[in-house]
Amino acid sequence: MNKYNPPRMNPSSLRSRFATRFLRTLSKINAQKPTSSSSPTEIFRRYRRIKAAADKSMAYSVRSRRTWSRAMLWKLRTRPCGRRSVKTSTIIKSREARKTRHEKQNKNTTTTTTTTTGEDGVVFGVEADELRELVPGGEAMDLYNLLDETAHYIKCLTTQVQVMKKIADFYSP
Amino acid sequence: MQPCSREMQAMNPLLNPAQQLPLQDLQSTAHQQIQNPHFDPTASHDDFLEQMLSPLSSCSWSDLKSPWDPPKSDETGPPNVGFHYDEVLASKLRQHQINGGDGGGVSSPATAAIKMMAQQQMMLPGRGVAGMPLSLGSSGAAGSHHQNDIIYGSSFKSPNQQGGEGSMQSLYNGFSDGSLPGTNQTQHFQHPQAPNFGATAGTVMNQSQASGSMTPAQPKQRVRARRGQATDPHSIAERLRRERIAERMKALQELVPNANKTDKASMLDEIIDYVKFLQLQVKVLSMSRLGGAAAVAPLVAEMPSEGGGDCANGGGSIHRNSNGNQTSADNDSVTVTEHQVAKLMEEDVGSAMQYLQGKGLCLMPISLATAISTATCHSRNPNKGGGSHPLLQSNGEGPSSPSMSVLSVQSATRGNGGLDGSVKDAASVSKP
Repeated sequence: MNKYNPPRMNPSSLRSRFATRFLRTLSKINAQKPTSSSSPTEIFRRYRRIKAAADKSMAYSVRSRRTWSRAMLWKLRTRPCGRRSVKTSTIIKSREARKTRHEKQNKNTTTTTTTTTGEDGVVFGVEADELRELVPGGEAMDLYNLLDETAHYIKCLTTQVQVMKKIADFYSP
Repeated sequence: MQPCSREMQAMNPLLNPAQQLPLQDLQSTAHQQIQNPHFDPTASHDDFLEQMLSPLSSCSWSDLKSPWDPPKSDETGPPNVGFHYDEVLASKLRQHQINGGDGGGVSSPATAAIKMMAQQQMMLPGRGVAGMPLSLGSSGAAGSHHQNDIIYGSSFKSPNQQGGEGSMQSLYNGFSDGSLPGTNQTQHFQHPQAPNFGATAGTVMNQSQASGSMTPAQPKQRVRARRGQATDPHSIAERLRRERIAERMKALQELVPNANKTDKASMLDEIIDYVKFLQLQVKVLSMSRLGGAAAVAPLVAEMPSEGGGDCANGGGSIHRNSNGNQTSADNDSVTVTEHQVAKLMEEDVGSAMQYLQGKGLCLMPISLATAISTATCHSRNPNKGGGSHPLLQSNGEGPSSPSMSVLSVQSATRGNGGLDGSVKDAASVSKP
């Protein structure tokens, strides 16, 4: 075929937003390090940077509409401070942030972590905790909202993966 | 009050379902009575009735009154035939008791009984005077309802072949539970059937027993509703919550690919695995940009076919991702690595994977490896003879594109039972 017409994408869809941001960041990273270093630490650092860029661009695409995106943004912001204490501090910070935000909305989040597992905890005890670990910012959410966040998170992750795959395919010879 | 006490004692065995003898006596006497369509006051009848009626005035009226309190309020002429009937009888009895004084006069209970019988015969075709006090007594005994009534039902079944069953039923129904709606009893009135007597009695009994209260019709329906569904707010809230969670689970099911909903727990496990998988894919993809070190974790296979499709027309000029080092694997080192990996896999798969990772390799099935090698060998300049080796393939490329490192181990020979459930025998392929 002579001309390849890609299908028109919705310019404001999640996918396009993420794609633009991510590519921008990627180009920045590439601009910083033109030469490839062979040491594993360098590679690792670069990998971390790229992954962070991906996550950050995804989170920014979602803005702050979702709890997990907020939590992820917090995590990314506090990351340079320290590796080990990041997790706990982000948890605390995200919890506090959410508390302050949700107290205005009359939402009781922090006290629901332990109590909600009581009602449905017979069914969802272990898996809910595991899910909370996976989804960023899921520690201080009841099961109902957790499922909601998980659904959105899965959707965003799939978009992210698709875009990154396509970028990789595009730029591989 | 001695005769009263004596008659109380006589009543007590009547109330006690365990003792059958007085019942049989009653049955015999009732039998005699019932066979006569008209009430003939004989001496035995008098004694019997005296026994039955006089203690009732003293002791069990209160008990008898309680089930019928609401219908007793209107004695004039309610459409509720059953209630009315019972009321009339009871009122007649009471009046007689008041008028006739204590059970001294022999004839007075007989006259009362006659009056009642007349009443009965006016209203119903049949007899049942004997049945009435008996069922009165039976209604007095709330706890022994079941057995008494059924005993009475069965006892009166055979004698009442001629059609008094309807009256018996009505009496029985009316006395046993005043909570039945009048329609039931009218039905029983109109359709007296001998074989159904026991059955209807049983069902009536079951209904009355099941409702668990002798309340009139409206609260009984509320009781019934409570049995089917919870009506208190807590359980309603819980039910709502569960429904909402079920909705969300369904929505998640559509997102997650392997969505055969067996139960919630397994569905949650699937969701968790899928989230892990996606996060891993992001990791792998971000790794692959660097090129070189491919092995993140041999957990998931990225099918090369999925990578096809439109390219993302995302940006302008972007530098090609510079590739990292190439895993240079000579044939010798390949075999060495192979043996190492094989040995490690015997002990522990995890350590084998880590070893591979350290080398910058990963695991994949042979079919995939061959597919990739054939697909990529055309487009690239094969620096090395990649793909020739059946087990280990590593394609090193020039600086233009990151290399794709692949190690495929014959999982079949190794007996891949040790791998986790999520691993199966797949591998992660880092695509350039």
